[in-house]
Amino acid sequence: MDIQELKQKMDQANYIYDETLATVLYVALQLGRPLLIEGAAGVGKTEIAKVMASALDRDLVRLQCYEGLDESKALYEWNYQKQLLSIQINMGSQSSDELTRSLFSDEYLLERPLLQSIRSEKPVVLLIDEIDKADEEFEAFLLEMLSEMQVSIPEVGTIRAKSVPFVVLTSNRARPLSEALRRRCAYLYIQYPDMEKELSILRAKLPHVDDRLCAQVALAVQKLRSNEAILKKPSIAETLDWAAALDALGIRELTPDALRQTAGFILKNNEDFKVLEESNHTHECSCGGHCGGHHHG
Amino acid sequence: MAEPQVYLEKLSAFSRMLQLQGLAVSPKETADATQILIAIGFEDRQQVKTALRTIYAKSRDQQLIFDRVFDGFFLSEEQMRQQAQQQAQQDRQIQENIEQLRKSGHADGLTEEQQYAFGTMSEEERQRLQEFAEKYKENAKRNPNLYSNFIHSVFAKALLEQQMRLEDAAVGCEGADPELGILYRDISQFSDVEIPKAISIIQTISNQINGELTAKRNRKTHSGKLDFRRTIRKGLETGGRFYHLHYKRKPSRRKRLVLLCDVSGSMMQFSEFALRFIQNLNQVSDSSRVFLFSEEIYEADPFSLQNMDLFRNYVKECGVYGKGTDLGAALEQLCSFNPKALNQYTTLIILSDTKTINQPRAMEALLEAKRQAGRVIWLNPIPQRHWPHIRSVQAFATLCTMICCSTLQELAAACRRLTSV
Repeated sequence: MDIQELKQKMDQANYIYDETLATVLYVALQLGRPLLIEGAAGVGKTEIAKVMASALDRDLVRLQCYEGLDESKALYEWNYQKQLLSIQINMGSQSSDELTRSLFSDEYLLERPLLQSIRSEKPVVLLIDEIDKADEEFEAFLLEMLSEMQVSIPEVGTIRAKSVPFVVLTSNRARPLSEALRRRCAYLYIQYPDMEKELSILRAKLPHVDDRLCAQVALAVQKLRSNEAILKKPSIAETLDWAAALDALGIRELTPDALRQTAGFILKNNEDFKVLEESNHTHECSCGGHCGGHHHG
Repeated sequence: MAEPQVYLEKLSAFSRMLQLQGLAVSPKETADATQILIAIGFEDRQQVKTALRTIYAKSRDQQLIFDRVFDGFFLSEEQMRQQAQQQAQQDRQIQENIEQLRKSGHADGLTEEQQYAFGTMSEEERQRLQEFAEKYKENAKRNPNLYSNFIHSVFAKALLEQQMRLEDAAVGCEGADPELGILYRDISQFSDVEIPKAISIIQTISNQINGELTAKRNRKTHSGKLDFRRTIRKGLETGGRFYHLHYKRKPSRRKRLVLLCDVSGSMMQFSEFALRFIQNLNQVSDSSRVFLFSEEIYEADPFSLQNMDLFRNYVKECGVYGKGTDLGAALEQLCSFNPKALNQYTTLIILSDTKTINQPRAMEALLEAKRQAGRVIWLNPIPQRHWPHIRSVQAFATLCTMICCSTLQELAAACRRLTSV
């Protein structure tokens, strides 16, 4: 697949991208390298994996990382209950060696996302989300899979990938990742979209919403993000929710009142509400002057 | 970019350049870069840059280094011509200025570096120095011993400042990225509008450090005592058989820190940032004591440190604001507290730029504090490259561990070090 073909597929998936993103995805695909994506929360890191699954026509296998995640939740686990039942049932009918051998077979193996992704006949997109939340031991455990596309299970041996998944790892940089993991990945850092891209996303995802309202929403969100006093910057998903909510409420113009009524869609803590109130007092309208001031007063 | 062969040969040299800049580049990366360049071609410079950046740079910091090296390495012919012309013109101008200095006779006693620094000065600054020398020319003739030394010392001071400015300009190259730039800038130079941004960065970094600490704590080996409750509960999943034994964790002891903060006018901003950083660390937050000092010492209550306004108001109300700095008196008071504030389990952290009245007294008091406390660490906001020129820094650095914290990046590194003490 060349870069033009990849762009076409992303277009078909209705995804708004820039040249940098397209090139990075192409490089990762071409080299068969996992792609490590870093950036602030809500910039669309996870979305890239979903779009790639759709563009490449593959299934998406997702592993959500958290503190304490271990291989039994990520790779495989033996079905202990079923094994115990089997022991009880077959105790008299099978020799102990046979019984032991049968207990560690595929029948008793519970596949978790990592194993599922490499044992799939058809290549999948594997999303390892928020890897920074997992422990460093888990990161080290991932290395074998990411570099060799194989995993080792003590009772079974080494399992090689039937198909090579396209691996996407995301991180909010809650803690620095190890050099070893970074070295095995292609790297992408994403920032919040600029005004033009945000507007394109709004138009693409919410074609039924009035274009003028989309522009006002995009501008207001840009202003909020550039306001250093706002602690939690609005994400792209929140922008979309906000525009959809305004549209559902029948609001056609982003007035200060409309902003106040619906601010809960973009601001998620009390301190940020206070900042918004203060900026409303000074500026009166958070549409950033896009309205031309005609609805003031 | 019409000759792919040339660029393929250059890739290994480019990889070497990246290595010299601190990027971990292995032959695998160079092989990948070659493969990808063959696939995408060389027509689009921006695309080539993005593709190579994806392969070589593995973090945001590394991306910035990569961009700088790439732009310096893969120049277009037009850029190369322009840069060469600019450099030649600049060198010619510097040489002319040095010649002018030599002709005027003021170059005697100045080193090559100082003469070069003079050459890089602006027209206005050079004029001012020349006028000063002319003004005292007659005096120098009458009393050469006295005035020659005086003129020389003024020249040397101005040239040293210029050398420091040149060094600062070279250090500030990371400032190109607004987000990361603030990490590498001198804290004392933050403008009011940058302070909220800096605070939010401090929050992010302290969250990172807390994350690292939690991970480190989780990695700690167990205490050796069996946790019956967890073992039995887990065993229920496997029909009462204990496949996994669970052990009790080792109790973690939090650090006891005593912070002594200089809150004189020039130190206020740094102290506020440093305190915010340290207070954000879970590992130390509930067991530290904070003292503010100028000529006297006051213990701050934790509530007053919660935000910048509260902190500033508190400092103004408690009467330490606007006074001179007397570290010696402050340390003596701290050492004489009853019950004792310092003991062998505490780490004393001093936030100060070493500028104090009565330095000998301060040094004696520091020695006493060092005797009482388990460890003394000094966080100094003066950039390390200036330390050799400041006597008080050199004097205090011999008595304790002094860490440079002129930027948020250095402050974060210092905090990481504090938590591992």
